[in-house]
Amino acid sequence: MRLFRKVGNTLHILSFPGEDVEKGGYLLIEDMKAKKAMIAQVIDIQFANVPGVMEELLRSPDVEDQVQGDDVDPFGIMSQILYIQDARLLVCKIYGTIVNNGFFSDNNWLPSRTDSKIRKLSTESLMKLAGITKGLPIDLGETQDAAPMIIDACELDGRLNIITGKKGTGKSHLSKILVLGLIEHGATVVILDLNGEYTNLGLAADGTKNKHHEKIRVLTPAQNFKVTLYKTNLYVVMRLLTNALNLPGASAREFRSIWKFLEQNGTLTLHELGGAIKRWKCNQHVRDAMQSRYYAILHSGFFTDNMAEALDFEAVLTETDKKGGGAIVINLKDMAPSDRKMVVEYVLAKLQEILSQWKLRAVFLFAEEAHLYLRETYWDDIVTRMRHFGLFTTFITNQPNTIHENIYRQADNIFLLNFVNEHDLQAISRAARADAETAISIVRDLPPHYCLVLGQVVKDFPIVVKIRPLNIKTMGQTRYFFLKEREKR
Amino acid sequence: MLHGVEIPQRLIELSQKSMHTVKGRFLQPYWTESFESLAETAQESPPVSINSRALSTLITPLTPVRDGTPIIGIDTSTIKIGETEAGIIWAVRAAVVWGNNRGYRYLRLGPLPFHITEENKHAFFGGSVDHTFLNATSFSSVSAETQGRLCNLIERWIQASVSHSVSESIILWDGSLTAGTPGNPVSQISHILEAARKNRNAILAFSKTTTIRSLGWRITDFATRYEPPCLFEVADLPLSTSRRIHLLGRIYAANLSRGGRSFRLDIDRTLSREQGIEAVERLLGNELMFQGYPETLRLAHIYSTFTANDVIGIQSFLKREYGLKIINRRSIRKALFGPYGTRYED
Ligand SMILES: Nc1ncnc2c1ncn2[C@@H]1O[C@H](COP(=O)(O)OP(=O)(O)OP(=O)(O)O)[C@@H](O)[C@H]1O
Ligand SMILES: [Mg+2]
Repeated sequence: MRLFRKVGNTLHILSFPGEDVEKGGYLLIEDMKAKKAMIAQVIDIQFANVPGVMEELLRSPDVEDQVQGDDVDPFGIMSQILYIQDARLLVCKIYGTIVNNGFFSDNNWLPSRTDSKIRKLSTESLMKLAGITKGLPIDLGETQDAAPMIIDACELDGRLNIITGKKGTGKSHLSKILVLGLIEHGATVVILDLNGEYTNLGLAADGTKNKHHEKIRVLTPAQNFKVTLYKTNLYVVMRLLTNALNLPGASAREFRSIWKFLEQNGTLTLHELGGAIKRWKCNQHVRDAMQSRYYAILHSGFFTDNMAEALDFEAVLTETDKKGGGAIVINLKDMAPSDRKMVVEYVLAKLQEILSQWKLRAVFLFAEEAHLYLRETYWDDIVTRMRHFGLFTTFITNQPNTIHENIYRQADNIFLLNFVNEHDLQAISRAARADAETAISIVRDLPPHYCLVLGQVVKDFPIVVKIRPLNIKTMGQTRYFFLKEREKR
Repeated sequence: MLHGVEIPQRLIELSQKSMHTVKGRFLQPYWTESFESLAETAQESPPVSINSRALSTLITPLTPVRDGTPIIGIDTSTIKIGETEAGIIWAVRAAVVWGNNRGYRYLRLGPLPFHITEENKHAFFGGSVDHTFLNATSFSSVSAETQGRLCNLIERWIQASVSHSVSESIILWDGSLTAGTPGNPVSQISHILEAARKNRNAILAFSKTTTIRSLGWRITDFATRYEPPCLFEVADLPLSTSRRIHLLGRIYAANLSRGGRSFRLDIDRTLSREQGIEAVERLLGNELMFQGYPETLRLAHIYSTFTANDVIGIQSFLKREYGLKIINRRSIRKALFGPYGTRYED
């Protein structure tokens, strides 16, 4: 490899056949005289603009061409000519400089063209140089140069993370790896599982219990996840009515009065609430509005008057924490959108309540396709207030533009799987943690199950990882009509 | 076809021998100049002019004869690769192209590098070398003449080899049948023409440009005025040429296809005029003409010409193979003369 030129914080390096360098790989440009070395990442590989190649291609006979012949090349020079013709231009982003084994983020010097040696930098050395720790290890898989890629769970702690990529590239799979890694280290994780694909986290592929089995709790609303009005705070119910069920302000005020009335009488049940709304002295419109919301609550099946079948969500959370961590999967599969919103409102309000009272240290929240159930005002809440209380969120989506710009700007870790769509690429380029050019260029060519990891966990050295397989019973994968036909193939 | 064509082993040996003198030297690479134009001037016959009576000369219309005569095109290219302290490195490539039933085939020789120095130039060109070129201290002097000689040398060898090994074919050369210029002795071409005749071959030499003028017209412009295919004979005209120059061919302006250009065509003078014209008619019947120019010759040109990529490839090959130290213009003087050398710079 030879240094060709430096433009800003980009290096152009000439590489020849046989020096197989991959997009995403790191290079060390060592200036022997200056005794300094630059670290750069290959973000694009292009054909070198070798003069005359066009003529060469135009005249060289290809397989279908009519002109064939023999070359008498006693010196064997042609192979050298072809070698030059196959030269590649590596576009590399400079990440910093090493002097006396110390790393500095200095890009402002020019390595010598003649005195510089360029070689691949192994991910292992990179991690050492960058100070990427393995404190509480989570094994993500392998790097391009087959080194194990282990991240530190501490770097997810207190952070905001995004996992995004196009459909079927392995986002949920990676998310599961993170969840299992976190609970292994004793964390409490809540998953908003839109497609019910985390419900089998405790089962191996063959259906037997795996080592995580005891730590996984699946809560399916209206089945094993029902709550009583009695155990629900008024403000939670109000948020639920106004946000999930769009109850207008005037009606909300009346509802508050009814609730307080029932609370004082000690008759805070669904049954009593229905009767009270019917009897309450108020404008007919207000009554109708309240009534329709009441029926929505009733029919969601999420609330119950039967104390025996009700779940104490707070207790579930605190017990999980006490037992040394675990995952609580909120199975939102097949729920009506308004019911889903209601449950999410409830869960988030409860989490906030518990966390603000210090009944739990912190909770990791994993939210799949959050735009389908998260109300507008929550996005900002999540990155500011909720985070402050100890709710650390990971968003998982295949539509990167559904995640608010604010979230991108503040995300600490971004896991990018393949994208090709220009709009999607544009969306991810808003992330402050990612150098837009790097992210877009690398992510475009990522094969499925490969992930570009950006941010805190890799100390801002973007690293491409082949995510490891998981021995987990899967479901909730992309649905197919011709499933049987597919399986036969 | 062309089984008999032997790559002249002596040529390869000459190249290898010359390259032994290059080990560990400095090489100042040669980048910019495109050889194409140089090659033309190097191989071009000297200017000849026609006086005004020429205009009455005869036009010969042609009828293509399709009889399966094999057509063979030969072309050679040289390019300067760089200068060493002792001399100049050139690379040569030759291509022979012929048609077969499915299309065209080529046989290509090279690139062959040659390191030509004051010491070894006699081995190449005999004693008649002009002493002003290849002066070791005149680094900027690019000797077009040396290059022309080298190109001729290799071209003649290939041409001779083809003339000896094929029969009843039409052999197309790039250039003219003019001899007597430096490095281009009359005897050599005469021998090749004779060998070709013995094997019942006809040699037709096409020039891409010509400097033969009359009343300010290039001769090739005359032929363009007549319905193709036709030949316009110039050879009979009183051509004023220098004494040394020998025209071994009859000179025509050839306008061979509609919409094409006219080219200067030299046909072996020892063939009868009729034999010569018949050879052109057989060429027309058995060959594709691309804008008035034979396809085999066009391909031979394309396959032999060097691109910039070739030059870089050869330079890096030399560096690797012979340990040449590639340096820029300024540092070669420093390397040779130390700091005092700098005053020679421009
Ligand atoms: N690293 C991996 N190794 C092996 N299999 C994987 C890997 N990543 C994903 N898979 C498998 O590929 C399929 C799709 O993965 P996954 O469901 O995680 O993709 P997704 O990006 O979440 O898709 P969607 O956009 O549909 O949600 C699943 O069957 C999953 O088990
Ligand atoms: Mg998914």
